[in-house]
Amino acid sequence: MADHDGEDRTITAEGLHRTFGTVPAVDGVDLHIPGGRIFGFLGPNGAGKSTLVKILTTILDPTAGKATVAGYDVQRQGGKVREAIGVALQDVGLDPLMTARELLVLQSQLFGKSGEEARRKAERLLVTVGLDDVDPKKRAGAYSGGMKRRLDLALSLVNDPRVLFLDEPTTGLDPASRVGIWEEVRRLNQELGMTIFLTTQYLEEADRLADEIAIIDKGKIVAEGTPDELKRKIGDEVVELQFAQCEDAEQAYDALATITPNRQATGHDLRLYFGRAAENVPELVRALDGAGIRLQGLTIEQPSLDDVFLRVTGGALEHEVDEAGDEALATANEEVAP
Amino acid sequence: MSDILLLIGRSLKNALRQPATIIPNIAISVFFLFVYNSGLNSVAQLPGFQGTYLGFILPVSIVSAAVGGAGLAGQTLIKDIDNGYFTKLLLTPTRRLAVIWGPMIASAIILTAQVVLVMLLALVMGLKVAAGPGGFLLVVVLAFLWGMAFAGYAAFMALKTKNAAAAQAATFAFFPLIFLSYTFVPKQYVTAGWLKVAATINPTTYVFDAMRSLLNTGWSAPSLGVGFAVTFGFATVTGILALWAARGATKLAS
Repeated sequence: MADHDGEDRTITAEGLHRTFGTVPAVDGVDLHIPGGRIFGFLGPNGAGKSTLVKILTTILDPTAGKATVAGYDVQRQGGKVREAIGVALQDVGLDPLMTARELLVLQSQLFGKSGEEARRKAERLLVTVGLDDVDPKKRAGAYSGGMKRRLDLALSLVNDPRVLFLDEPTTGLDPASRVGIWEEVRRLNQELGMTIFLTTQYLEEADRLADEIAIIDKGKIVAEGTPDELKRKIGDEVVELQFAQCEDAEQAYDALATITPNRQATGHDLRLYFGRAAENVPELVRALDGAGIRLQGLTIEQPSLDDVFLRVTGGALEHEVDEAGDEALATANEEVAP
Repeated sequence: MSDILLLIGRSLKNALRQPATIIPNIAISVFFLFVYNSGLNSVAQLPGFQGTYLGFILPVSIVSAAVGGAGLAGQTLIKDIDNGYFTKLLLTPTRRLAVIWGPMIASAIILTAQVVLVMLLALVMGLKVAAGPGGFLLVVVLAFLWGMAFAGYAAFMALKTKNAAAAQAATFAFFPLIFLSYTFVPKQYVTAGWLKVAATINPTTYVFDAMRSLLNTGWSAPSLGVGFAVTFGFATVTGILALWAARGATKLAS
């Protein structure tokens, strides 16, 4: 399917599977992402996000199924796919001995640009990612984590890609760097019409950036839609009950089963989903009082993507973040060079 | 072709930025040349010895440089895999083979430069190349090919083990080959039967023979023919092994 300017920017997948040994990392994923969208792919560590990105970017073959990126088959037209895409993986890929300019010039030349074109492109991209004022002799190995991430993003843009894959682009970054990356992602999408496939563990990131979101868990897509659609699916409003003890929250979870099946206990809190929350509050309070459970606080709010995630996967997303780096690196090494 | 040239250039530049990866290898070659030439040069007085002992021992120095220097190709690949740059290169339209061959050829070029340096040093020490400038050049070509053969082996080990220490150790495992040959004295003076058998099946022997003929006795078609055939054969085997390992590491999707 061609977009408005005649260039295909779509991503499709049909029945995509990938197993490692007997473990399914991607288990029957179907996708149809129109061109020019920001697609957020949300899931905990080990859910299959990075494996899917590696399949779509031609680094890894699927065990079964078919996928196309920018109109090209990822298995049969890998070279064409790579010409059309930019990729910034979760673990930045930089040669620490080279300077930013050297890396950008070489990357451009490997995409077929002449030396002069490559040098001009490198200067433009350094301005784009805010690294133009860094000492030109400074090697990438001496960059901070945020600078490396920005340089890696610049490397993914040397070929003016039609589809950009960003695999957890802000994991490990400080809040200011994270906002900087978000602004750049929005600009690339709005000004250049790039399709952006963004994987993330941060619900806020997906909520702020993505036009559409898919939630993946254990290799399967368990929910898909716009952020608002996903939030509406679980109810219009949320009642959050706060307790002094985790045990109180667990007792309340059981005590309120007759009032609503749509509830989720996390730590000291219990969240209950209703069409109209206020109408149910008196009954909730009476039930807790009857069960002898002491309530510390009660708030009514709109559902968040966190609620969506809790409901569809049965587990919290943010708890997984700390383990992400090490496990993802191990997975990447196994996957890239089996 | 240009992608290979670009990646060779990158590997060469990086190697020059880390002289510590090159200098020890040159030092060992020069050490071999000085120590063995000054300590054993009376071997040249033995009846039937042709040429100078400097011309006889120089190939040992050259081949040891090739074995030690080839590890650079493996080290480069392992570092690239470890820091993610290998994957970054795979995400470009670059031919997959260029990603592997770039460091291999760069490694062979660096050790060829080392060999030229050692040979120039030998000239300063009084070496007279029996086959003339053409012979000098052919020794360099032979060293380059031998280096490519070891670079292929180093790349294979790097891609299979993905472990810098294991790849380096595997390269050094070839060092005994240098000494299981007619390393310090010509064949006619070796009495140990087991060493003769080892030398006969050791490909290094034929590289020594080809280089020694050029340096000490002049043009010898049989020595050169066998020497080049063995070198090509060895380079082909290690090249195939490297490609096989590369196929797993890059899946050759293009």
